[in-house]
Amino acid sequence: MAQKLNRLSIRFVGESGQGINTLGELASKALKNSNYYTFAYREYPSLIKGGVASYQIDISSTPINSSSKFCDILISLDEDAFEYYIQTANDNSVAIYDDKQIEENTKITTLLRKKNIKGAYIPTVELAKKAEGTPIMANMVLLGVLWNILGLEINSLEELVRETFKNKNIDLDAEVRCIEEGKNGTWGLEIENIPNPSEQELKENKIITGNEAIALGLISGGLRAYYAYPMTPATSILKYLGNTYKDTGILIKQAESEITAAQMVLGSMHAGTRSATATSGGGFDLMTESISCAGITETPFLVILAQRAGAGTGVPTWTGAGDLTAAVNAGHGEFPRCVISVSDPKSAYTLTQEALNIAEKYQLPVVLLTEKQIAESLYSIKDLPEPIEIDRGKISDIETPYKITEDGISPRPIPSKVNNPFLKSSDEHTEDGVSTEISEEILKMTEKRKKKLETLKKEIPEPKIYGKKDANQVFVGWGSVKTPVIDCIEDCNLDIAYLHYEYIYPLKTEFFKQLIEKGKEIILIENNETGELGKLLSESTGYEFSKKLLKSDGRPIFIEDILEFLNP
Amino acid sequence: MIDLNKYNNNVKPTWCPGCGNFGIHMAIKKALSELDVEPNKAFMSFDIGCNGNGADKININAFKGLHGRSIPLAIGAKLANRQLTVIADIGDGGVLHEGIEHLIHAIRSNYDITILIHNNQNFALTTGQATATTQEDKQMYGLPDGRPEREINISKLALDNNATFVARTYSGDVLQMTDILKKAINHKGCSVVEIMQYCPTYNKEASPQWFQEHIEKLENTFDTIEEGIKSTNMEKKIYTGIFFEETTIPTFYENLENRKDISTELVDEVKSRDIKKFLEKFK
Repeated sequence: MAQKLNRLSIRFVGESGQGINTLGELASKALKNSNYYTFAYREYPSLIKGGVASYQIDISSTPINSSSKFCDILISLDEDAFEYYIQTANDNSVAIYDDKQIEENTKITTLLRKKNIKGAYIPTVELAKKAEGTPIMANMVLLGVLWNILGLEINSLEELVRETFKNKNIDLDAEVRCIEEGKNGTWGLEIENIPNPSEQELKENKIITGNEAIALGLISGGLRAYYAYPMTPATSILKYLGNTYKDTGILIKQAESEITAAQMVLGSMHAGTRSATATSGGGFDLMTESISCAGITETPFLVILAQRAGAGTGVPTWTGAGDLTAAVNAGHGEFPRCVISVSDPKSAYTLTQEALNIAEKYQLPVVLLTEKQIAESLYSIKDLPEPIEIDRGKISDIETPYKITEDGISPRPIPSKVNNPFLKSSDEHTEDGVSTEISEEILKMTEKRKKKLETLKKEIPEPKIYGKKDANQVFVGWGSVKTPVIDCIEDCNLDIAYLHYEYIYPLKTEFFKQLIEKGKEIILIENNETGELGKLLSESTGYEFSKKLLKSDGRPIFIEDILEFLNP
Repeated sequence: MIDLNKYNNNVKPTWCPGCGNFGIHMAIKKALSELDVEPNKAFMSFDIGCNGNGADKININAFKGLHGRSIPLAIGAKLANRQLTVIADIGDGGVLHEGIEHLIHAIRSNYDITILIHNNQNFALTTGQATATTQEDKQMYGLPDGRPEREINISKLALDNNATFVARTYSGDVLQMTDILKKAINHKGCSVVEIMQYCPTYNKEASPQWFQEHIEKLENTFDTIEEGIKSTNMEKKIYTGIFFEETTIPTFYENLENRKDISTELVDEVKSRDIKKFLEKFK
């Protein structure tokens, strides 16, 4: 590795269903409360029990929002998981396990020797018993051992455990004794280069996923009805909105299909409230006819498309950003739409509210993209940005739903809120919504909708520039790739810039063209196979990308992927 | 009672002479007028097909959407604003083929909407293809030797799924249709109304005279769903009337714990909400 990163990576691994998530979430929060910046990333199989899973927490003294490819501390609850993930351990790292059999696995022991990894068997169940705890508290012993390796005081961990489990029927003192058992043992697991905690007090920071931030954006943005069909990695939005529904009053309906969810959104939006749905690629495909319907009927519509890896059912619980082309082209016929992509919880919170505003203001379908990497990773944030003011656009007091206007946006009547009834139609229609097949009337309406798209294009922002603005090398990307690029720039003080697209369709190209004119070395970076944003930019500007960092193996862009690309 | 003319507009009908849709639209207008539902307080979602071509022929709030999807769109509108009288209008093709999941789940969830199913036993707008209600063996478009599958009986399907209101009526009997529609609209829950519709172009055999000979009106609504199911059979007679009504099952909305103490409608609740107290829980 050319650059030494100012971070340490801890990886909990085990069989899916062994409690890896609980361990990881507790550790993330406790490390945050110990004033570490954290970023937690999950890998797990598409099944309930068995298969190997990992919960990786990177810690640093400065803000980080990405993962490293390799880990420095591997904590294993299962032999198969250990065997798989030990390959991702750095040289001279440490590995702890609660299964003595691992020491008889020659494949593992050979690798430990080769990489000079210090391994240690921790008899967690016995230690838990010794501390007068139950076998299920063995995981607390492991956290204690981790705190021993990191040389941290257990106060923050103890406080969190007492708080987290206070309403459960658990012997909290025994939990704490188990942590102490791990913390106070002599394990000989010293490790070099442990970053210092931040000098900032981080206890007030929040540990939040991208999907939770989207849900909060929906609540902030005045959402009143949420319809969805379960599909990873979109489902946790349903979970958050469902679990908070008594406080928000939001109507929650788990629909019988994605088509139903999309149609219910159309019905509720048309009736005049704010509604949304979320899905992943397969479900999104089912919604495409409804998206086309929203386009021609000029009905506000919002779908959150949480991408995962692959076509068909793909690699369901892994990440990717291969649905941009689908989002931009979804639905038959030609109609205006807006495609936006989030990249972390803060942008997710803000852009979700913007998406609701755009859907209503321009009366068109909005696709808000996220990825499994953003949806499910745990970010540490001080706060979310200030909420966006709700803008419902031109709500009308006349009943002409498709009135021709200068900017293409017709004043929008709401059923029963105007004096007379009105008609909206998926057939091509007149200003009154009456079906038409007359050439002039068809063109009048298609022209109006085209104008609306032009108005939208004028009002959405150009991409954002991060990093060293006058650098010669400029990455161009969207979605989850933003955070590893920025972490690279800041952590390794790299002399590069990054042009980040949030608003992708209609596509703004002024800033991008300026980079070309200045003769910058442009590198396309995307978490997909073919460079889908790149194709859009090429189509609009004629520019052909000669340098591309593309990755489509279900894994996110790790910080090392960028460093290796720059210094092969 | 509201003046019937208020539901009329000046859009020229495009149905074939004699089409059952004329009678059906008359009955919808009469029912709304007699129930004092202002055109502006009613909302109808329309399917694609000859029935869907009625979307712009009636002066009430309407949305002409996609084939087979008028039910979930109507539900979305009703949940957003319960003050609207909401009717999902759909044909036998749309509801039994692409839209069958919506019918079954609308019944199960018992949303407070009325589903009008125009049963003319064929896809008429696309010139007479078979639907799931076309008689077995009947020669149809592209089926010179007759349709090879069995039929679905709409009213039976609805009753088998424990619908809280199921009725059958006939497009040639405006008075009965009006009466049934009024009761269906007044029913608190999901009402399914199957309308046997005369199609003078693609289902000539089922002529008004044939209907007159075969229809027998039910005198009373049955006490049990099982008795209702028995009378849905159309082999010898076509029974019309209300097969069954159950008034004790709550609607979907009534069952939502988080809406029980809220009297406003979702359409009147769009405003920014402070998320600070939610965010605190992420510490």
